[in-house]
Amino acid sequence: MSGATPRGFVLARSAAAIATVCAALVSVPTDSSAQRAAASAPRVLTTATGEWPSYTGDTRGSRYSPLDQITAANFGTLEVAWRFKTDQLGPRPEFKLEGTPLMVGGVLYATGGTRRAVVALDAATGELLWMHSENEGERGAAAPRPLSGRGLSYWTDGKEARILYVTPGYRLIALDARTGEIVKGFGTGGRVDLKLEIDHTILPDLTTGEIGFQGAPVVARDVVIIGAAFREGGSPRSARNNKGYIRGYDVRTGKRLWIFHTIPQRGEPGYDTWGDGSADVAGNTGVWTQITVDEELGLVYLPVESPTGDYYGGHRPGNNLYGESLVCVDLRTGKRKWHYQIVRHPIWDFDLSAAPILADIVVGGRAVKSVALPTKQGILYMFDRVTGEPVWPMTEMPVEKGEVPGEWYAPTQPIPSRPAAYSRNGVMLDDLIAFTPALKDAGALFASRFKLGPLFTPPIVSTTGGLIGTLTQGPTNGGTNWPGGSYDPETHIFYTSASNYSPSLLSLVPPAAGASDMRYVRGTAPPAPGTPRLTGFGVQGLPLFKPPYGTITAIHLDRGEILWQVPHGETPDAVRNHEALRGLDIPRTGQPGSVGTLVTKSLIVAGDPELTTTSSRARSAMLRAYDKATGAEVGAVPLAAPQSGSPMTYSVNGRQYIVVAISGGAYSGEYVAFRLPVAGAR
Amino acid sequence: MRLLHLTVVIAAVGVIAARPAAPLNESSVADRTTWDSVFTPEQAARGQTAYAATCARCHQESLSGADESPALAGGTFLSKWSGLTLGDLHDRVRVTMPPSDPGTYGRQHISDVLAYVLSVNGFPAGRAELPVAGAALQVIRIEAARR
Repeated sequence: MSGATPRGFVLARSAAAIATVCAALVSVPTDSSAQRAAASAPRVLTTATGEWPSYTGDTRGSRYSPLDQITAANFGTLEVAWRFKTDQLGPRPEFKLEGTPLMVGGVLYATGGTRRAVVALDAATGELLWMHSENEGERGAAAPRPLSGRGLSYWTDGKEARILYVTPGYRLIALDARTGEIVKGFGTGGRVDLKLEIDHTILPDLTTGEIGFQGAPVVARDVVIIGAAFREGGSPRSARNNKGYIRGYDVRTGKRLWIFHTIPQRGEPGYDTWGDGSADVAGNTGVWTQITVDEELGLVYLPVESPTGDYYGGHRPGNNLYGESLVCVDLRTGKRKWHYQIVRHPIWDFDLSAAPILADIVVGGRAVKSVALPTKQGILYMFDRVTGEPVWPMTEMPVEKGEVPGEWYAPTQPIPSRPAAYSRNGVMLDDLIAFTPALKDAGALFASRFKLGPLFTPPIVSTTGGLIGTLTQGPTNGGTNWPGGSYDPETHIFYTSASNYSPSLLSLVPPAAGASDMRYVRGTAPPAPGTPRLTGFGVQGLPLFKPPYGTITAIHLDRGEILWQVPHGETPDAVRNHEALRGLDIPRTGQPGSVGTLVTKSLIVAGDPELTTTSSRARSAMLRAYDKATGAEVGAVPLAAPQSGSPMTYSVNGRQYIVVAISGGAYSGEYVAFRLPVAGAR
Repeated sequence: MRLLHLTVVIAAVGVIAARPAAPLNESSVADRTTWDSVFTPEQAARGQTAYAATCARCHQESLSGADESPALAGGTFLSKWSGLTLGDLHDRVRVTMPPSDPGTYGRQHISDVLAYVLSVNGFPAGRAELPVAGAALQVIRIEAARR
């Protein structure tokens, strides 16, 4: 059925009708209706008034709220206020719900379902107020970044209130926040086709042309900023791909205001960092994670991903600006103010993966408006966000020159002198499992099939009978990924979870005949006869690397100093119950996975990335609270599935709520809201 | 039809105060586990071919996964599924894969791929093939560790 609607317009219109009917059908106590709530929303929206008006609470990447009703003393008594299951928001259930909702004026807005529907819920009860979805048919099915996405944005001028989001098929939609009805005066009939007006032709056509965006748009000073994402880029079909340019739109009209060419066009600065004219053909280089804005300075911070070919850059010799660069552009014009390339000539898939965080700090007695960038490498890069100068001196680290035919190598990479790396990057022998001498030997034997080395050890060509590839840590979901970090503006402390066990194989092979025009793509050579094929990175079912597998770290940004680091999550069942470890006293290992953190007045809150079973509770993940000053765990409540979105908090009718998206395994997507029990309830 | 759809949505929305988070497998009656030799070597070999054709592009030949595709081997995979049944895992694959056209893999194809995945994760092969019927799969529990 869906395939019969090539643009999805018919069903989208139907969905709008549903939204209207829905609002009528479930129209509800007036004190909780979307209309009233939106109309009474304060003009200045901020977490300080109990709202959560933007994906990270603000446009600064903070994930901070000063709410203080939920504390160390009562976190463990939290109870489920409501649950919202997303199964019926699309044609089938989704098991990867990554959204962070917004809350404004008593209404919670979120994305969900396989078509990325938008819902408005009563923030106190979870009751559905309206729903909007677009059936994009074939275009939706071809989306490089399908499913429910990570969120949406809210805008108001005090009269109108709008919800903005990007569909899987790469359309920007504006909805009336009160009713869910499409804002017909925006774009064309309420929609902007993001595959158009992008300064190049999206190939091969608008339906199947590869480009999308699963993040939340950011809205600042009436400008909506849209990123771009593609399929995973280890084995591209071509060295030529669509380009991930970044654009700003007028929130009132949907008119394009500006575009920033993340791959410079001929005549623009940086074009000459692409040898052989490769800037003309190379693509990707979008921003698939969250964009951050300093509304006072009128500056936008773009964390740019890798160019085409995650692990092979031989078709694009040179540093390849603005690949894996932090780029600052003007909010009104999109003109570049400054940039800093974090990784030159990217061949490690170190996409800038997390929202930059704006932090007003004091360094050596001097006030600095800084921007802090958590990364897959577990390095926090910090810059003066006005000038682009590094806050801490950079070291030019010589890096190994690889031997992949046709590849171009940058001789050095910049590494900040502070703060120290907060997660493992690179893999040396000393990083391998060592619970027992036998396991240590087994780990070393397993690893002997790989090239090991520090951060920026280059990929190798995989050979039969030789090394399989470079084994490293970080590129695949290591360090901090899209959930990002958090920042407490009162104490100047930054927090992040980090995956410390995400083995990544950097191995290249020539593509199969007809599969790609690249000289090399990700892959492994066939094993020699009698040699087992590589399947996973475990040793007897145990992780190949030493614990901790996942952590939460606090870093004082004034000093560039790690204050504390704790394992996050229970020791995985597969480790705790392993027969080879019986009798050993193994401290909590934490769990692999980058999960979103929330900072409140006194707590850090984050859920487990895995399910575990302990002697004291049934199989579950836990939503945990840490004392933000010390890292001590002060409370936990069970979740039916791992945290898959990031926690947010708000206050309605005098009660503080924490909402988090959970899903995974056989558990389909669900938003769960927690609050404290009613005082004195019988 | 639209209204019916909507009704389901509303029914799914609920105020379920104070309900503890129940593990999915609470009502499971599985009495066999993945350690009970629930697939054959031939089926796993068939599954390897099927995996290479339909799954490896995203989940990788090594089953180690990538940014958007979860690993299908190792501790994280087992932690996620241990305690659930092969019926649950089969359903998850059937409902969501392949992402561009979910629901188009046959039950036999999925069972063969699961046989391969089980073999990679170190579970023993035996003399009977992994079944395709949901009821038969639902009584085989995935267990990370042999008990």
